[in-house]
Amino acid sequence: MKLLFGGNMLNIQHLTKTYGEKKAVDDLSLHIAPGEIYGFIGHNGAGKTTTLKSVVGILRFDSGSITIDGTSIQDDPISCKSKIAYIPDNPDLYEFMTGLKYLNFIADVFKVSKEDREVRIKKYADIFELSNDLTQPIASYSHGMKQKLAIIAAWIHNPKLIIMDEPFVGLDPKAAHLLKGMMREVCDNGGAIFFSTHVLEVAEKLCDKVAIIKAGKLIRSGTMEEVKGDDSLEDVFLELEEENN
Amino acid sequence: MVKVLLGKQFAEIFRSYLYDAKKNKARSKLSTTLYFVFFAVLLVGVIGGMFTFLSITMCSPLSTAGMGWLYFAIMGILAILFGAFGSVFNTFSGLYLAKDNDLLLSMPIPVPVIMTSRLLGVYLMGLMYSSMVALPAVIVYLAVCRFSFATLVCGILFVFLISIIDLELSCVLGWVVAKISQKLKNKSFITVILSLAFFGLYYFFCFKAQTVITDLIMNVSTYGMAVKGKAYPVYLFGMMGEGDWIATLICYAVFGALFTLMWVVISRSFIKIVTTNTGSKTKGTKASFEGRSVQAALFSKELARFTSSANYMLNCGFGTLFIVVAFVAILLKGGTLASMISQMFGSTGAALIILLGGICCIACMNDMATPSISLEGRSIWILQSLPVSPYMVLAAKLKVQIVLTLVPVVLCLFAIAATVPCNAIQFILGGAFAMLNVNLMALFGIFLGLKMPNLTWTSELIPIKQSFSVMIALIGGFLFNAAFVGLYFLVGRKVGEVIYLCLAILVTAVLGFVLNSWLKNKGSRIFAEL
Repeated sequence: MKLLFGGNMLNIQHLTKTYGEKKAVDDLSLHIAPGEIYGFIGHNGAGKTTTLKSVVGILRFDSGSITIDGTSIQDDPISCKSKIAYIPDNPDLYEFMTGLKYLNFIADVFKVSKEDREVRIKKYADIFELSNDLTQPIASYSHGMKQKLAIIAAWIHNPKLIIMDEPFVGLDPKAAHLLKGMMREVCDNGGAIFFSTHVLEVAEKLCDKVAIIKAGKLIRSGTMEEVKGDDSLEDVFLELEEENN
Repeated sequence: MVKVLLGKQFAEIFRSYLYDAKKNKARSKLSTTLYFVFFAVLLVGVIGGMFTFLSITMCSPLSTAGMGWLYFAIMGILAILFGAFGSVFNTFSGLYLAKDNDLLLSMPIPVPVIMTSRLLGVYLMGLMYSSMVALPAVIVYLAVCRFSFATLVCGILFVFLISIIDLELSCVLGWVVAKISQKLKNKSFITVILSLAFFGLYYFFCFKAQTVITDLIMNVSTYGMAVKGKAYPVYLFGMMGEGDWIATLICYAVFGALFTLMWVVISRSFIKIVTTNTGSKTKGTKASFEGRSVQAALFSKELARFTSSANYMLNCGFGTLFIVVAFVAILLKGGTLASMISQMFGSTGAALIILLGGICCIACMNDMATPSISLEGRSIWILQSLPVSPYMVLAAKLKVQIVLTLVPVVLCLFAIAATVPCNAIQFILGGAFAMLNVNLMALFGIFLGLKMPNLTWTSELIPIKQSFSVMIALIGGFLFNAAFVGLYFLVGRKVGEVIYLCLAILVTAVLGFVLNSWLKNKGSRIFAEL
């Protein structure tokens, strides 16, 4: 399906970000086309979250460029942010709001019409079995419920690109399965997904492309077949980790 | 273990004194020392000085009349009230709402140790405040009336007993608030109402204090005998300061027993209250999907944050209530007050300037914009990742403070117009100054909030109440308005009220413009990079 769409949804060129002396991301380049689910894997502290936050415009980087659907995040962050959705590794949401108020707040900021937001909220809340809890304060939600709410909030404005940091953490197996379906649906409609994960089996089954990062450097990237060949992704990942030690 | 936990708590309270968020590193020893010296000068010099003066006024007359115990009873009660003012609202948040309660409970730390460390924080805060009253009272007595081993030791024990009483009061109120919070909807507002009732009583007492003290000194023997006869525990409490060992023993035994009782009650309910989900489930309301503009959504979010927390409303929104009180007071007594001021200074314009300065000083008590940046905490990623400019976010934070302050200030301005003699030009200029002043204070508050952010707090009290930025915002506001009144008497009277108000408007507008420009550029960049 992805072959139907052309161009670059996300283009990262020579991204470098340092924290003091330490290079968190070192000259990283990759691009994601519409219709692609792109997995980003690496060990803890490899630079995944820094890359994702730079893409979303939360973190300023030292050098390189990031464009989203042809627009630079540095030159026009508002336009870029209106096309994307971000789910962080830990869903720290506004605990003083109810789930519904939070979703309405996000929908207001993205200027989603009353009709569209009603349809989408009802649809995704039903899918994740959260409908009865939407009028409760977020402070009463479990970690998994907050994660589901963050996912609904990300999907509410029909984004072109969804950036997710460890999206499956905290989700029950059914919700994780549903999320995978939703991710594929976004891509089938011309959107793109860029997400980090430690669950290599999920990445292997779900992703069209994958990038492996180590100590801030991209050590391998490409289609799943190009990266893993006949081996499992886990074997390739561990082998690359060994090689680069 | 208690030491470790207490160290963690104090590191958090005094974080802005020890750590420079801008440079992301620890402050130099000199810088930290200067911060602490400033804090000490403010507490000991200003507040301690005020109570030293009161002690000097009362100590000698009462002691000479053989009523030294009454002096200690009065100062002790004042110290208890002042200490409670400083610590009473810490208990609920500090003990039950700390974000790291779950983490600490999951570690091999006995519950009493966690409680002790939390309560020690509350205790030390109460001790700090109550000592500013009790310590001058004891020192003045030792210096002016009688110095002996007994008065020295019992005096010190008197100071510590007051801090224990404060802890007990704080714990009782904290426990009651926690119990209410478990059961009720709109608990923030209920907590605010309860707290306001407490404050009302407190300020009523303070308001009446001067009259009562004067009356007391005039009729010391009559009141002394009455208190001794009808409120013997108060007599015993006062006798402690005079070096009475038996009274000291009895007071410590009684309050020690009360403390044990309080400890048992709190220990029994601690885990239950802490582990009860704070966002308790409520009856579902009808779902609404109505849309709003981006600005309205951001404003509404900020307002919801403010009204969701009793601590936030009480500590940063007190000005709104006080301005309404001032409005009623000006309506009732404005004319009398204006003629008194006019007679005192021989000019009708002085009343307008003093009342304007007074209202603006009260308005400074509203400082909700200052901690609003830090209160974003770990959810700051939401605003940073949304397609809104940082300035729009900051403007929404400003707007909450401006709206909640400006509405009652405008009411006050009309009350001034109705009661204080001034012409239309003076009124318009005065009104313009007050409004620009409210705008400036909100801008100043958010400037400080951006300069000294703390996004890693574990209790919201830290950014709301215990941060350096909040203290500077309050003091800075008071000083600015004190300067407005002071400069009037130095130069304003010579140039006339109209020209003076024009100059004040110009200064306030320029400062506001500079801060707003900073916020649009540098401030927005800082927010985006937090």
